[in-house]
This record gives sequence, structure tokens and C-alpha cells, in this order.
Amino acid sequence: MAMDPTDPAAATGRPTLPRSGGPGGWRIAALRLLLLAALLLAWQVASWNMPAFVLPGPLRVWEAWSNLVASPGFWKDLGVTFERVVIGFLLAAVVGVVLGLALGASETLGAMFEPVLTVINTVSSTIWAIFALIWFGLSNWTTIFVVFMTAMPLILTTVWQGTKTVNADYVELARTFRMPRRQVLLKIYLPTILPPFFSSARLAFGFGARVSLVAETLGASSGVGYRLRQAADLVQTDQVFAWTLTLVTLMLALEALILKPLENRLFRWRRRAGES
Amino acid sequence: MGSVQLRGVSKWFPRREGEPLHVLQNVDLDAPERSIVAIVGASGSGKSTILNIVAGLVRPDAGEVYLNGVPAEAFKDWRSMTYMFQDDRLLPWRTAAQNVSFGLEAGGVGRAERRERVAETLELVGLTGFADAYPHELSGGMRSRVALARSLVTRPSILLMDEPFSKLDPSIRAQMHEEVLRIKELMGMTLLFVTHDVEEAVVLAHKVVVLNPRPGRVRETRTIDLPYPRDPLSPEVAEQARLLRGSL
Ligand SMILES: Nc1ncnc2c1ncn2[C@@H]1O[C@H](COP(=O)(O)OP(=O)(O)OP(=O)(O)O)[C@@H](O)[C@H]1O
Ligand SMILES: [Mg+2]
Repeated sequence: MAMDPTDPAAATGRPTLPRSGGPGGWRIAALRLLLLAALLLAWQVASWNMPAFVLPGPLRVWEAWSNLVASPGFWKDLGVTFERVVIGFLLAAVVGVVLGLALGASETLGAMFEPVLTVINTVSSTIWAIFALIWFGLSNWTTIFVVFMTAMPLILTTVWQGTKTVNADYVELARTFRMPRRQVLLKIYLPTILPPFFSSARLAFGFGARVSLVAETLGASSGVGYRLRQAADLVQTDQVFAWTLTLVTLMLALEALILKPLENRLFRWRRRAGES
Repeated sequence: MGSVQLRGVSKWFPRREGEPLHVLQNVDLDAPERSIVAIVGASGSGKSTILNIVAGLVRPDAGEVYLNGVPAEAFKDWRSMTYMFQDDRLLPWRTAAQNVSFGLEAGGVGRAERRERVAETLELVGLTGFADAYPHELSGGMRSRVALARSLVTRPSILLMDEPFSKLDPSIRAQMHEEVLRIKELMGMTLLFVTHDVEEAVVLAHKVVVLNPRPGRVRETRTIDLPYPRDPLSPEVAEQARLLRGSL
């Protein structure tokens, strides 16, 4: 799907207040560039007064980043982390949707499991990481488990709440056609919860990606989190900055190139506010 | 195929406080095969409740419903009946064609046949060219047509309609009346519909059932013995409407 280069939302993947195009769009883009330049300048000035292991300057970080990307292990580490996040996230999405639909479909089940969800939500990701380390040791599953435990409750809760917003009139309509229950879930419930599911999945993926690093610093011998910890141990601050830069870029690209176009395609049927 | 009978149907709805609400009292109604029967009555007199009972969505507390002569509890062929609600209930995430297809999907009709019948039915209601439009892109009249097409695509022998055209402006409504009569001729189903517009009842129906409110009971069943097509502006229609209005 083509992106509108004048649309600031397309560049950052986030909805922005003044909607796209027009002279306002250009002005915002220019102002943002100005902000970026100011931050870079401040960074540069600050780095002059500090040793490089505390705050390396932008140029030094750029150099470190170029070397990092060129190094043979870079794509491998990135790939390993990405794989763990994606597996954890996909498991979370499947389990979250199925359980969310089940809890939504049965009031008894819902009432029964509500406290369980509260408990899971109060346990911090770091605690999951420690448990995972005990249970799975230094393996892929440690990180996958942590991503799963972070993302799953979020998706489950959204899907479950979403089932409560299902329009009873539509269900009644399906009933007049004697539609089987499984089809009603598929054709009425699923489309209703898709928009909230999509935004929560996006959020869950972001959380998952972030906690995966924590999990990897504790319980992995490969991956981005592991490299970050190595760099910290060796006081290679420029390396830490370079990895951070990589991750931020990747998340932005994911938003702009995959999630945003996918969302536009999936929710074509929605009338945009402000459209006549 | 396609008759509806109510015998002594009564219904109470429980209320949060106080006595249950008596909505229908001893209602008798006959819609023979291929007939058009209208139910008229004041707001709250239980018109929609009658259709809900016939559709099997609401259970009567007393009395019996017969469909094709079979008691409703023993009736099997529910997919031969469709229900067009008071609101159009189009699914916003489906295009017009996909909305029409909805009824066939429940019945397990194959994809190829579905496509064919959807196209056919859209043409029947005059919506060719709008198959891929989403509901929010359609006018009120067109949305009604989509809802009608969705009720027709399964080729029902009984069609229930609850104030199907009440939100349309008069000229479009008259046009829809003609279309409904034409389609009814073509498909030969039994039509049981609710309206509070007595002219609409007289233009369309063989028989009009007048309901009195609180509790809803049949005040009068009037046969309209006028040839089709009926001109809504003719003195005969006006006279019948006047008589009906008198008993409302
Ligand atoms: N599911 C329900 N639970 C409780 N009360 C109901 C229910 N459905 C209808 N009623 C009540 O029954 C009465 C008759 O309702 P019904 O919808 O059948 O009226 P109606 O004749 O179709 O009115 P209108 O012309 O306004 O559509 C109303 O007082 C309504 O509040
Ligand atoms: Mg009603």
C-alpha cells in the first residue's frame, strides 16, 4: 500500500492530531526536523564535557553503529531475538484470543477466572524472567515465556472485554438464520473484537519486544539483550547506544511498513471521523 | 408451504419491580399460504413481540403457534422463514453483497452458488452496481434494499417484516411497496408485516389485523378486497384506511 510522504502519521506510525497533507503537515514535519536537530546538537555539546564511556557523542555512536551492522554476528543476534519475540507473541495471540472468546462466551467462566487475570497482571515481567530462568535455564524458552506472559494477559483482557461490546442485535439476526454457534463466533464476535484486538496486539508486541531484552540479559547466551549486557559489562557505551538506535529504527519501520498498512486494509469498512 | 397461525397467544414480560407486563392477550391470527397480512396498532401494543414469537425468538406464555400447520415446537424448517427487523441490522464490516450472503452462509450454501444467488437477489432489489459498497456508503433506502435482499436470498416461504419502510421518505416508500408486491408475485411467499401506517397496510395487505394496546389483543381483522395494484391515492384505499383508523 502506498504511503503518503506528506503524512506525518505515515512516518511515525502514530496518529497525529492535524490530519495529513496540507500546509499544516509540512509545517509539523519541518518543526519535527528542527527538534531532532536541536536534540542532536544538545547531545553533541553534552558529550564534549563527559568521558566517552558515560556519554559518547553522536558521531562516535554512528561509527559504532556502522561497525556493528557490518559485523558478522549482528544479523544473527537480531534474528534470534526477533524469533523469540515473534514466537512468544504468536503464542500469546492465539491463547489470548481463544481464552478471551471462551471467557466472554460463558459468564461463569469469566467470573471464575477474573481473579487469576488480576494476579497475572500484577506480577512484573522481571519476576517472570526469574521464574523462566529457573524453569528453562539459558534457552530460547526463557525469553519466549517472558514475552508470552507479558503479552498474553493484555490480549486476553482486550478480547474478553471486546466480547462484551458485541451487538446483541447482530447475534439475534444470526439466530433468525439459525446460524450455528461456531459461525456466530467467527462472523459476529471476531469482526467486532478485531479493531480492539489489533491495537492491543500492537501494544503487546511492543511490550514483548522490550521485556525480551530484559529476559535475554538474564537468561540467554545470544540475542540483542545478551549483547547489550556484554557491552555494559565491558563499558562499551557506544555499543549500547548503537543497539538502541537499531531497535528504535526497527520498531518504527515495523509500524510504518507493516502495521499501519495492515490496519488500513483490515478496517477499510470503518467510516473515518470527519469524513462526510 | 408458508402459513402462519396464532391461537390464543398470550405473553407477559417480567419487570424489575411490580407485576409482569401483560403484552399480548389471547391473540388469534391467520396468515394462509401466499397471503399478505398486516398488523397495525399503536406503539407498544405488542406488534414486534408477535413477530418475535413467530420467529421463535420469544416464547409465548400461553397459546400455540403453527407454521405450515405444524406446532412451532415440532417445526423443523426454520430456514424457510426470514425476518426483516425494524432496524436494518446490516453488519458494518461487510459490503452489501457480503451482507446479503450472510443468510446463505448459515445454511451452508457453497461459495459459487452463493455468489450467483447474491448477484441475482441484488439485481432483484435494484442494487446492481452497489455490491461492493459498505453500509455507511449507502443511503437509507438502499440500506433497506440490502436488508430486504438478505431476507430474500434464502428464498423463504415466510417473510416477516417489522416496519420495514417506516424510516424512508414517502416517495421511496411507495416505490418499495411496488417492489415488494412484484417480488412477492415472483417468489410466492407468505408475507406477515407490521406497520403503524394504515395506508401502507391497505396498499399491501389482503388482511389487516388491528391490535389494541395494553394488553395487546386483536380488536378487528379486516379483509381488504381491492384488486392489485392499488393506487395509494385512490378513494377506495382512502376509505379502507379511514375505516381502519377508526378502529385504532
Ligand atoms: N424483551 C422484552 N422485555 C421486556 N419488555 C419488553 C420486551 N420486548 C418488548 N417489551 C415490552 O412489550 C411492549 C410491547 O413491545 P413491542 O416492541 O412488541 O411493541 P410494538 O407494538 O412493536 O411498538 P412499536 O410500534 O413502538 O415498535 C412494550 O411495552 C415493551 O416495553
Ligand atoms: Mg415494534
